[in-house]
Amino acid sequence: MEERMERKIWGRKTGIWISATVSALAFILSLPFVAWVRLVNISALFPEIGISREMAADLYQSYSVFNLLDFVQKGNQGKLGLYAMILLMLLLASWYFNLSYLWKVIRNKKRKNGDLDLYAGGRLSMSFTLLLAGAGLGFVAFSNHSFGRKGFSASPVIYLLAVLAAAAYAVIKMMEKKERELYHEHGLVKEIRKNWILFLMLVPMFIYFLINSYLPMVGVYYAFTSFNFRDGLWASPFVGMKNFEFLMKGDLFRLTKNTILYNIAFILLGNVLQVFFAVLVSQTAGKWFKKVSQTLMFMPYFVSFVLLRVLVYNLFEYDYGLINNIVTSLGGERIDFYNTPAYWPFLIVAFNLWKGIGYGMVVYLASIMGIDGELYEAARVDGANIFHQIRYITLPLLKPTFIILLLYSLGGIMKGQFELFYQMVGNNGVLYNVTDIIDTYVYRITMTQPLSIGLGTAAGLYQSVFGFVLVVGINWLIKRKNSQYALF
Amino acid sequence: MKIKTSKSMIAFQSIACVLLTFGAVICVLPFGIILSGSLTDDAIIIKEGYSILPKGFTFEAYKTIFKVPGEILQAYKMTIFYTAVGTSLGLMMITMTSYVISRKEFKYRDQVSFLIYFTTLFGGGLIPWYLMYANVLNMKGTTFPIWFPGLMSPFLIILMRTFISESVPDAITESAKLDGAGHLTIFGRIILPVLGPGLATVGLFLALGYWNDWYRSSMFSTSQETWELQFYLYNLLNAAASIKQMAMNADIAMADIPTQSMKLAMAVVVTGPVLLFYPFVQRYFVSGITVGAVKG
Repeated sequence: MEERMERKIWGRKTGIWISATVSALAFILSLPFVAWVRLVNISALFPEIGISREMAADLYQSYSVFNLLDFVQKGNQGKLGLYAMILLMLLLASWYFNLSYLWKVIRNKKRKNGDLDLYAGGRLSMSFTLLLAGAGLGFVAFSNHSFGRKGFSASPVIYLLAVLAAAAYAVIKMMEKKERELYHEHGLVKEIRKNWILFLMLVPMFIYFLINSYLPMVGVYYAFTSFNFRDGLWASPFVGMKNFEFLMKGDLFRLTKNTILYNIAFILLGNVLQVFFAVLVSQTAGKWFKKVSQTLMFMPYFVSFVLLRVLVYNLFEYDYGLINNIVTSLGGERIDFYNTPAYWPFLIVAFNLWKGIGYGMVVYLASIMGIDGELYEAARVDGANIFHQIRYITLPLLKPTFIILLLYSLGGIMKGQFELFYQMVGNNGVLYNVTDIIDTYVYRITMTQPLSIGLGTAAGLYQSVFGFVLVVGINWLIKRKNSQYALF
Repeated sequence: MKIKTSKSMIAFQSIACVLLTFGAVICVLPFGIILSGSLTDDAIIIKEGYSILPKGFTFEAYKTIFKVPGEILQAYKMTIFYTAVGTSLGLMMITMTSYVISRKEFKYRDQVSFLIYFTTLFGGGLIPWYLMYANVLNMKGTTFPIWFPGLMSPFLIILMRTFISESVPDAITESAKLDGAGHLTIFGRIILPVLGPGLATVGLFLALGYWNDWYRSSMFSTSQETWELQFYLYNLLNAAASIKQMAMNADIAMADIPTQSMKLAMAVVVTGPVLLFYPFVQRYFVSGITVGAVKG
């Protein structure tokens, strides 16, 4: 018995060290200075794929995964771009998994299920290394196929990595099997066999998110291309960061500023107003009055933004608008709202508050309902009037909810309220300076300027990445302060 | 002491009463303005502008809309189709997904939840999303990209999961499992029958989303036959503006179409169903928001 345990531990250690070595090797061999792909027979190849002598001066003999995109750009080989990009993404993923595996091995923390976590990490890193090597070979095959002749060759490094990773994977798998028997655990295949109905129930969800969310993420590649109709979506020239540079020089600052400032106004004013009305509703005596006023204030939430457009037009139109109607009947001059940018920040914020107040009130009312009634009872006995009760009981107890909601919405500060802005302002160029947000900018490009889709995708990607960093950062802060409120 | 308390109470109640009435009026008045405008004589609107109460009460605008009802009926039909298909299919998919990730014995529930949640953190942006439907799937002009994207959302999945775990305690499903019930039996016989409020809430959120959508038509419709109702209204607003512009440019009198009041009448016709149902279904939205807010 003792001996068997010993043996197991001995085998375990060797296995882990073998795979850890492979992980380290995979990392080192994929560093930028290691060549993965070589150009063969350059001079014969160049006229074939449209590379001139001047362009050739910028090209190298061999490429690592890192500067493949450089080849795509300088050699004007747009159709290789997406693949090179995917290769780069895979490389980063394999780095991440390999390094985190190494970190796990070094830390050597024991869990209640033994080394199973470690094996899972090892398997993941090996499969990504394998995937990367496979994709590298695939890239060579793909480019040779699309040039119609042998222009690239794979360096031995790729084959080496593939073999090593496969071997290490097999070793880990073997050990994992033994370890699982020890702890009565099972892997994905057995889980699927056991709970196949559950997996079947998830299939529609997988398809949905694949089509609607995950596959479009690959499309961020367009942010690095300059689209033209001749080459189409898949072969338009790769231009590196040019789109971003162009945005930086032009609209990006204004768009970011508008998006963020409007959102801050929406969030701060919105939450304050919602708390205010929620407190009023909760303390009002008449039950019927309470219900009716809440119902009525919730109504704007239910109508579409197109109706909002009708409304805004109805109120602010120059000739027939109700406001101008009232102004003129009071003896004033007509106000040209649609040509005066200065009014719109106020109007947009006002209508956002109008539409969102009911929703927020419900959230805060729920929070107020959760307050223990005895607190008020005790306060009344001590002679606190209603204003004291609100000031010293309701508001302090609402504070956590208020702060949490504020922080959550700050995480989404880069996401513009597209429908609100688009329906209120539409394609009224006079107002763009003060009303254009990233979302409306991208929408306009999508609908009217197909040649600028690279620029639009770049703006969208910037928004996504910036927003992502914000959410993760804010979540990290919440976690440090008070982990039970963390989002993830 | 007692008198003082009641004094402040009276003061508070009257302030609250005034402010709440004010808030409620602000929230509802716009609907009244639209309704009254739709009942106003178009000539009066053009001469005097919109007003809060209808002047020269007439149903002319509504009559004009339904004189040639083909287009609006088509848009109504399509929106009902999108709403029905999207809501029923989406409800099915959301319920199944939520059931699976609410199972404690499901080994990969955290990973699956993360997969769903991650889509709220990061996305490819509008253009890759658009190109996915328009170019990769090549579905532009069909109804698919109009109803498909609205089927699910992370918020609704999490909401439904909360409803499931709140309405059926783990002990019940555990004992059912000991009696030999499989997942289909637990889902169909135990969970679904008591999930009524959850289904109603999530279903109403879905339906409202479909009814109020104009955006997907604006991106993916190539002919008026697939337009959503809201997009039809949106186009009518713009078209009416352009009709007016044309008439002004050519310096001719507008035809006998009550352009202004017709727009408002159309808005009433489009929004009517939502506001009619609203009082009856409001509580489901309230419960949904409350449950969703509690669990974040």
